[in-house]
Amino acid sequence: MRPLTEEETKVGSIGRNIAHLIDRPDEPYCFRMQKDRVYYVSEAIMKKATSVSRDQMLSLGVCFGKFTKTGKFRLHITALDYLAQFAKYKVWIKPNGEMSYLYGNHVLKAHLGRITEDTPEHQGVIIYTMGDVPLGFGVTAKSTADCRKLDPTAICVFHQTDVGEYLRDEDTLF
Amino acid sequence: MAEPMDVTDQLEVHKAKYDNVMVERPVPVEFDLRCLAAFDPNPVDDAALKSQSVDEYIRAWSRGGAQLLINAIFGLETESTEEGFFAKLPEMVSRLPRSKPVPKDAPKTRWEKFAATKGIQKRKKSRKVFDEATGEYKPRFGYKGKDSKMDDWLIPVPDNADPYEDQFQKKREEKRQRVDKNKMQQRRNAEEAWASEKGIDHREARKMQLNKLIVDSKTSTASFGRFDKKLENEGKIKIRREKRKFESTTIPAAAEKDAQMRIAEKIGKPKTKDANINIRKAVHNVRSKKSRTA
Repeated sequence: MRPLTEEETKVGSIGRNIAHLIDRPDEPYCFRMQKDRVYYVSEAIMKKATSVSRDQMLSLGVCFGKFTKTGKFRLHITALDYLAQFAKYKVWIKPNGEMSYLYGNHVLKAHLGRITEDTPEHQGVIIYTMGDVPLGFGVTAKSTADCRKLDPTAICVFHQTDVGEYLRDEDTLF
Repeated sequence: MAEPMDVTDQLEVHKAKYDNVMVERPVPVEFDLRCLAAFDPNPVDDAALKSQSVDEYIRAWSRGGAQLLINAIFGLETESTEEGFFAKLPEMVSRLPRSKPVPKDAPKTRWEKFAATKGIQKRKKSRKVFDEATGEYKPRFGYKGKDSKMDDWLIPVPDNADPYEDQFQKKREEKRQRVDKNKMQQRRNAEEAWASEKGIDHREARKMQLNKLIVDSKTSTASFGRFDKKLENEGKIKIRREKRKFESTTIPAAAEKDAQMRIAEKIGKPKTKDANINIRKAVHNVRSKKSRTA
């Protein structure tokens, strides 16, 4: 377990909103790297965790994602609750598309309920149900304006992760 | 017999008529007619340059130069085409400096150096030679060349050779070896040329290159080659690289927060003032306004 380097903080950052995660009024929180995973953890727990050796420690706090071997950062579904609070671009899907999405499929135009105005193309977005429950995140295939012209079977948002992964990838998720 | 006529008056009139055209300069003016240029080596009048009428003087002087140039052009040989009369411009006289440096001599190969000391000279040979076996002219070397002989359908086994040895295979291998040897020599020539250009011994250059490769491979692992197989005399190669350092796991939260806030400040910031404007949104606003008014 170690703190992130400056480079890692830049790569793995979720934008300016990282400030909200670090600068919390209730309790000091920090990011820690364990093996290749980045965890968001309260300082009290982090200090307790120093007594566990590197090989023995499986997980602490909330896993935000992992660094790939090529040095890119891959967000995990476990970070969804925090990301959803600060999301700039959102997509809401209709109830009939929820199950399809939760099984790992892309979001089709037919299932698209609402989308944030002026969302650009290839923009990371958070996906919600119509009742504002976050389901996962993805990348837009088309901008908001282009989405209007699409036919119903065309893909609007590419699937990245969804809460179904809590069941599917239970072993490697945390 | 007629009385001799006095033509001086007529000559005067004729001269006055062409007074403008005939310009005289003490030193003859040089021309480069291909560039339509005239170079006047005559000294200018210093007093006239300093006087009030400097403008007029310069105008008159340069008019004279231009007149001479035009006279010279009109003195050229002409040819008549459908589009009109054209003067045939001569070759260019002026020497222009070259834009690129003079190319360097290619570095000498080992063979060229040896040939120079022995006084061996290159002889011109014809590209094609007569092949008696087929009765055709074939290239001396290379593709379908005379000596390649890879298309032999039969090779007699030499007396002292192993009868079970594949002569065709042997031939192919020999060719392969010759090609490899040539490649090695080419590489060596290139290395020696590079070293001599730098002014170092080529053996030293090779040593430096190998040392660098060893250092690179040693420092490519996280442990700096601590667990790698040791090479002979490896202790002589010094490896100095910065080791990556991490902060202590339990640094004070306030210090860590400050550092990360500084990074957060940097990443979200638009690079310029204009970048802060959401162009897509602005365009959308303008368009929707237009459609409402229309």
